[in-house]
Amino acid sequence: MELTKNITLGVYLPGQSSIHNLDPRTKISAATILIVLLLFARSYEAYGLIALFTAALIFCSGIPSGYVIRGLKPMLPVLVIMWVFQLFLYKTPDTAILFEWWVFEATEAGLHMGNLITLRVLFLFTVTTLLTLTTSVVSLTDGLESLLKPLKMIGLPSQELVMTLVIALRFVLILAEELEKIIKAQMARGVAFDQGNFIQKTKKLFPVFLPLFIGAFKRAEELIVAMEARSYTGGKGRTKMKTLRMSSSDLSAAFVMLAYSGILIYVIISVEPII
Amino acid sequence: MKKIIETIGLSYCYRAGTSEEVKALQDVNMSVAKGEILAITGQNGSGKSTLARHFNGLLTPTAGDVLVNDFSTAEKKNIKEIRKMVGMVFQNPDNQLISSIVEEDVAFGPENLGLPQNEIKERVDWALCTLNLEHLRREPPHNLSAGEKQQVAIAGVLAMKPQCIVLDEPTAHLDPRGRREVLESAIRLNREEGITIVLLTHFMNEVIHCDRMVVMDNGRVEMQGTPHKIFRQREGVTKMGLDFPVSAQVAAGLRREGFSISPDIIHTEELIDNLCQLK
Repeated sequence: MELTKNITLGVYLPGQSSIHNLDPRTKISAATILIVLLLFARSYEAYGLIALFTAALIFCSGIPSGYVIRGLKPMLPVLVIMWVFQLFLYKTPDTAILFEWWVFEATEAGLHMGNLITLRVLFLFTVTTLLTLTTSVVSLTDGLESLLKPLKMIGLPSQELVMTLVIALRFVLILAEELEKIIKAQMARGVAFDQGNFIQKTKKLFPVFLPLFIGAFKRAEELIVAMEARSYTGGKGRTKMKTLRMSSSDLSAAFVMLAYSGILIYVIISVEPII
Repeated sequence: MKKIIETIGLSYCYRAGTSEEVKALQDVNMSVAKGEILAITGQNGSGKSTLARHFNGLLTPTAGDVLVNDFSTAEKKNIKEIRKMVGMVFQNPDNQLISSIVEEDVAFGPENLGLPQNEIKERVDWALCTLNLEHLRREPPHNLSAGEKQQVAIAGVLAMKPQCIVLDEPTAHLDPRGRREVLESAIRLNREEGITIVLLTHFMNEVIHCDRMVVMDNGRVEMQGTPHKIFRQREGVTKMGLDFPVSAQVAAGLRREGFSISPDIIHTEELIDNLCQLK
């Protein structure tokens, strides 16, 4: 059970690559655009292009690709389940039946849908992971805060929301460590998590998650006290050590994104969607 | 000596007014003098943490008053000023670091104070430099040892330039080396920067480095005085459930065996001096 080795979301890998040094606002906007475009991609050609661009991004970021792939591993069961569900449950009236299993039919449409959705989630995860790997949580907050500032006018407490997000991200790793500790403690007392049927296995998880949740609440309370002791009273009246400044590389990044979006949109429009 | 913190008839109840009322502090009268290192010690549940949380208004008294530089913590409008004067470091470093980069975490406090940008930078540089943490400034906290994390937490408080730092069992989660380093930092901040230190601890080998100590039991202050004075009252100390410093234990053992050793020994150096004088 080495959970902390696999979780990469919310962990920042310091570096000096061209992606690391971009303004967080550029990176957040770019990631948003990439994610929105993902939602419209419905052909393998489009995903081919997305895969190429994502690979290029990972290369530019200087982050070992093994690190990114390892982060995808915990997602695998979810992806497989989604794929299987789509395969058997998604149907169009005129689709070919690939094979039958019990009362279920696997259809060609289901196969394509499964593939598309799996790819979509995969890239969604990769893009967000890449964002958090190359952007410190603080720049992330600063960027988000600055991007969300206009929403303050309609009463959205953007600074507080962003602070919540930042803390949640930081605690992903801490809670994973804690989960690992609890599981190991239970194993030391003879719980075999990998034995028994599905229901038995699920039952064994209760004594793991209860202490985890209680621990999380306790941590949250301590954190609140610590923040309060350091004079945190919400976003009002706060200043920042660093102010964000766009540079020429942000401009180039914007051009790259524009070109890529253009090509991808062209592919999305011109290639017949598979489903 | 000018008092920086003073409690007057301080009582505090958790869940006051309900049937589950817990009296955590009862009629506590004590003070922290400007520029001293004060140790507060006592068993778990003796109320020392509750007391410490009154020092910067995280808790406000159920009865009585707490004055920080003559400002009452009960008045809401004083709280901001008080938190600037009295900083606090907690037991678990993981639960008090907010940011994923050391220098940004150190900046969190000054940012909350609404200071101008270059002043924040200066303070962060100064705090990191004072605690010899400059080499860690770009690191994420999860790459640091527990001792280093606690040093970063201290730097985060130091950057707010408080007159007093309250350390609530800062060494409880640390290994001996981390413990020594945190203690050394606290002492250095006191000697070189003139910051008043309040140290809550279970370790008597930390207490002996303090100018004065307060022993709590059952929500009351039971003993106050210099470590030398307190540890001479052997029965009282044992009754409070406290240990003796190692040197005091050795000295007591030797005294039982008939050696003529002073009952005042708490420091290793004192023990050595005394032993050297034996014939």
